[in-house]
Amino acid sequence: MFSVTLRSLGRQVHQQNKSLAPLFTYSKNGLNTEASFDTKPFKLHKLEEGPSTSVTLSRQDALKYYKDMQMIRRMETAAGNLYKEKIIRGFCHLYSGQEACCVGMRASMRSYDAVITAYRAHGWTYMMGVDPAGVLSELTGRSTGCQRGKGGSMHMYIKNFYGGNGIVGAQQPLGAGVALALKYQGTDGVCLTLYGDGAANQGQLYEAMNIAQLWKLPVIFICENNGYGMGTSVDRASASTNYYTRGDYVPGIWVDGMDVLAVREATRFAIDHCATGKGPMVMEVVTYRYSGHSMSDPGTSYRSRDEIQEVRQTRDPITGFRERLLSTSLATAEELKDIDQEVRQVIEDAVKRAKADKEIGLEELTADISCNPIDTRVRGVTAFDTLTHRRLGPAVNNH
Amino acid sequence: MASFTRIRACDYLFHLNVFRSSFKKNGNLRILGFHSSAPKHVIELKMPSLSPTMTSGTIVNWHKKEGETVSPGDVLCEIQTDKAVMAFETEEEGVLAKIYVGDDSSDVQVGSLIALLAESGEDWKNVKSSETPKISSEVTQKSEESKNVIAASHQPEGNSKKSMIMGPAVRGLLQRYGLSPNNILVSGPRGLLLKGDVLQHIQKENLKPVPISPVAKPIISSKTVVTEPKTAKPATVKVQNLTHEQEYQDLELSSMRRTIAKRLTASKTGIAHAYNTVSCKVDSVINLRQKFKNEGIKFSINDIVIKAVATALDLCPDVNVIWKGDQLIKPATVDISVAVATNSGLITPIVTDVLGRGVLEIGDVVRDLADRARIGKLQLHEFQGGSFTISNLGMYGISEFSAIINPPQCAILAVGGSRLELGDDGKPMTVMSATLSYDEEAISPVAAATFMSTLRSLLESPQSLLLGHRSLPA
Repeated sequence: MFSVTLRSLGRQVHQQNKSLAPLFTYSKNGLNTEASFDTKPFKLHKLEEGPSTSVTLSRQDALKYYKDMQMIRRMETAAGNLYKEKIIRGFCHLYSGQEACCVGMRASMRSYDAVITAYRAHGWTYMMGVDPAGVLSELTGRSTGCQRGKGGSMHMYIKNFYGGNGIVGAQQPLGAGVALALKYQGTDGVCLTLYGDGAANQGQLYEAMNIAQLWKLPVIFICENNGYGMGTSVDRASASTNYYTRGDYVPGIWVDGMDVLAVREATRFAIDHCATGKGPMVMEVVTYRYSGHSMSDPGTSYRSRDEIQEVRQTRDPITGFRERLLSTSLATAEELKDIDQEVRQVIEDAVKRAKADKEIGLEELTADISCNPIDTRVRGVTAFDTLTHRRLGPAVNNH
Repeated sequence: MASFTRIRACDYLFHLNVFRSSFKKNGNLRILGFHSSAPKHVIELKMPSLSPTMTSGTIVNWHKKEGETVSPGDVLCEIQTDKAVMAFETEEEGVLAKIYVGDDSSDVQVGSLIALLAESGEDWKNVKSSETPKISSEVTQKSEESKNVIAASHQPEGNSKKSMIMGPAVRGLLQRYGLSPNNILVSGPRGLLLKGDVLQHIQKENLKPVPISPVAKPIISSKTVVTEPKTAKPATVKVQNLTHEQEYQDLELSSMRRTIAKRLTASKTGIAHAYNTVSCKVDSVINLRQKFKNEGIKFSINDIVIKAVATALDLCPDVNVIWKGDQLIKPATVDISVAVATNSGLITPIVTDVLGRGVLEIGDVVRDLADRARIGKLQLHEFQGGSFTISNLGMYGISEFSAIINPPQCAILAVGGSRLELGDDGKPMTVMSATLSYDEEAISPVAAATFMSTLRSLLESPQSLLLGHRSLPA
């Protein structure tokens, strides 16, 4: 009881600070170091109180979010171009338009929180610490890729990032499992488990939610609702499109996924909720995907080009954020242009590397199948030609 | 570095050269904030692979012109892959600086340079690529090769056996000098004609190479199909002399024809077409026209038809409707599209506000638009829009036909030629048929029928065109 009171007191003080925030900002070269914004109201399910809609943003964070979103946008553009040049083969799902989701969530995550997502994983891979060259080289299948070119678009991993997952909805119970591990280890870490509006209708999601609620697992089930599950709009695919309420007994929150600050605040709120032993939470992040579902989908047969252009012009996460920064003098147009140039240069270099680096040799065919192989023999084409298992790369997330 | 940034604007010019020389080694003037001298960012656009199995494709048409601004998500051009025609979108922002591979270019290899994109604000006319476009040279090379192949197959038949066995150099020489192998002394083994033999023959006879005859240009008639239907040919026909081995010739379809076909198919399959035909007695119109003509005032029957249709639309506003998305709207004015045949296809320039114009003025506008349509000088707004279309094939002696609705319009009137018939009174009368194709979703059959009967009464008594809205006979 006491702790609750203390917390609510603390929150009040915190909020007071926020409202006073503009007074404490000081100007340097006419630029503000901090500014306040209002987000779209959050919608709540089985929650009495939601995150604050008044958000404070520091100049340092602002520039970082802007750069990260631009980096993802340009990286995805580069990936699309490489695919059209036939340098990237196989699967490739682009994140353009959804940048604010992963950037906003990452901003509220602590170093030991975990993430698992679906196959639209390039942006998350970058946000979790792989540089653009690592992502693009992975896409082109080069040895400098984050998985030595063996994973490709859907299978990228790094510390606390349990990857893109190729099977629709398969990551949902896995995410609950990661959360179980975090709880078991005694940390207050939280696992962000992301899925699309299409996978929201998978049965395994409800199985995972059930056990997560039962065992009070620290997992945030995040539905990145980009409006279309492959080529089917949410209205045609879901009996209820209020994905934040679909957890029934699991509390939920609805967030404008085109506003990086709203996503950040909601994630902070959800992490607070999960980390304090209250069990799982559902978060619906409403966003939009500019490109087709994958590279083989032009993306214009089930929605009009006008619809896409309208979102680009009115709801684009980067353009909207840029305007906010400029209108509150958190940054100058020149600064942002310099960031754009820098990002462009980074991506250009990454593309060059992704084209020039070497592929791994055939001897790695049987390398790194298992982390600790008990039997190092691997069956070849027939049972009589055995290959040898080798351990080469670092084992990611090996606890 | 900080001190440089404080230089006042008036010092700018003076100091610029100093900066240039001192910073050249460091390369980048941009650090001083002189964005205009930033290194130019040119984005090379390569032929994309828009299907997993595509190796080459056809650029059907460009949606953007050189110098046009491009923003993310814009369609640059339509590309025909091995499977379908797909839109090539860009994620970049800038100005389309240079198009290397134009409309209707087939067999463009994936990865070859097709265009350049410059950063916005740059002088896009001076943008250059580091890579020289290979594609154009490849294409010309290919066409030259194929020309040679054709030329080779043109060689007269009945050559002696020795012409069958000869090296390519020999064959090339013969072709270049227009020689027949029969007249040349042969020195090779087994009667083989050698290059030396041909060279000797050329030297002896002091021959000059035959000038390469240019491939005949396609005949493009500047006149329309309407006036000279027999000579009109699709503009892209490659004129070749057919040998009897080539029993057919490939006609390439222009992207305009393809677009027309696509739109008409969409219209015919997607719109519930219904038809109404009326026959009008047009003796009064003909007499009226003759009367004016005798006095030196000329207009055509078609001009009167346009005026009558506009008046009928004014009287039956339920037919003067167009789609705007899913919404049916009534335009404030009556703007009539008039179908004009051009070499590359049918185009429908618009006579705006027909109600506000007299018959003579309508005639002038139609002729001006038709003339400019035929030479391709129409502006976009002059043929896009309109609330109703008239297509007249009367001059071909077509008695009646039906046309396909041109969406977002909801109706089109197909006007046939006039013909003599026996009237009820046993006297000859001149009759003209008109068929209305209308969209049953937008226009009710009763509204369409009322419109057609109104049109008939207007054409049968053209003087009623003088009357206003309220005086229509019920």
